Amino acid sequence: MRQYQADIAKFDASNTQVLGISVDSGPANAHWAKELGVTFPVLSDFMRTVVKDYGIYNEVQGYANRATFVVDKQGIIRSIEQGSTAIDPTGAYEACGLAEKKK
Amino acid sequence: MRRKVFGLSVLLAFVAAALAQQPTAPRTQLKVGDIAPDFTLTDNNHNQVKLSDFKGRKNVVLAFYVLAFTGG
Repeated sequence: MRQYQADIAKFDASNTQVLGISVDSGPANAHWAKELGVTFPVLSDFMRTVVKDYGIYNEVQGYANRATFVVDKQGIIRSIEQGSTAIDPTGAYEACGLAEKKK
Repeated sequence: MRRKVFGLSVLLAFVAAALAQQPTAPRTQLKVGDIAPDFTLTDNNHNQVKLSDFKGRKNVVLAFYVLAFTGG
């Protein structure tokens, strides 16, 4: 969240919308976003429908895995990162053509 | 004897099923090049956000978090 927020201007400049998604309730997300000073939308998938659609829902533990999907303007998935590598937004930067700008 | 073999095979089937459901980290079945499943969710400011609303306008980075207040 912090990483994306720190570079939100770059995403904006490349016409890219960042959406954070968690399975927490809206109020929890709102508090979290406020605490971090996040300006992009943080969506609540409280019913776990989206994380199931995206195949990253952990049935046993009841929450989603960390993952990042980059979707292009045509609605096509251009990049998928899962697990600990998803924490580093570099892959998302690259998929958005921001790699060179990050360095 | 035949019954025992049957019982054993049923048991093995259960064990296999149980092993298949180990709480390993789920991996997405989606692939690069697939159409991103559409969704409508409510954001932290009570706005409805629909993925397909960005179609033809913006790229979208979907950053899924385990829970709120987690890192990354």
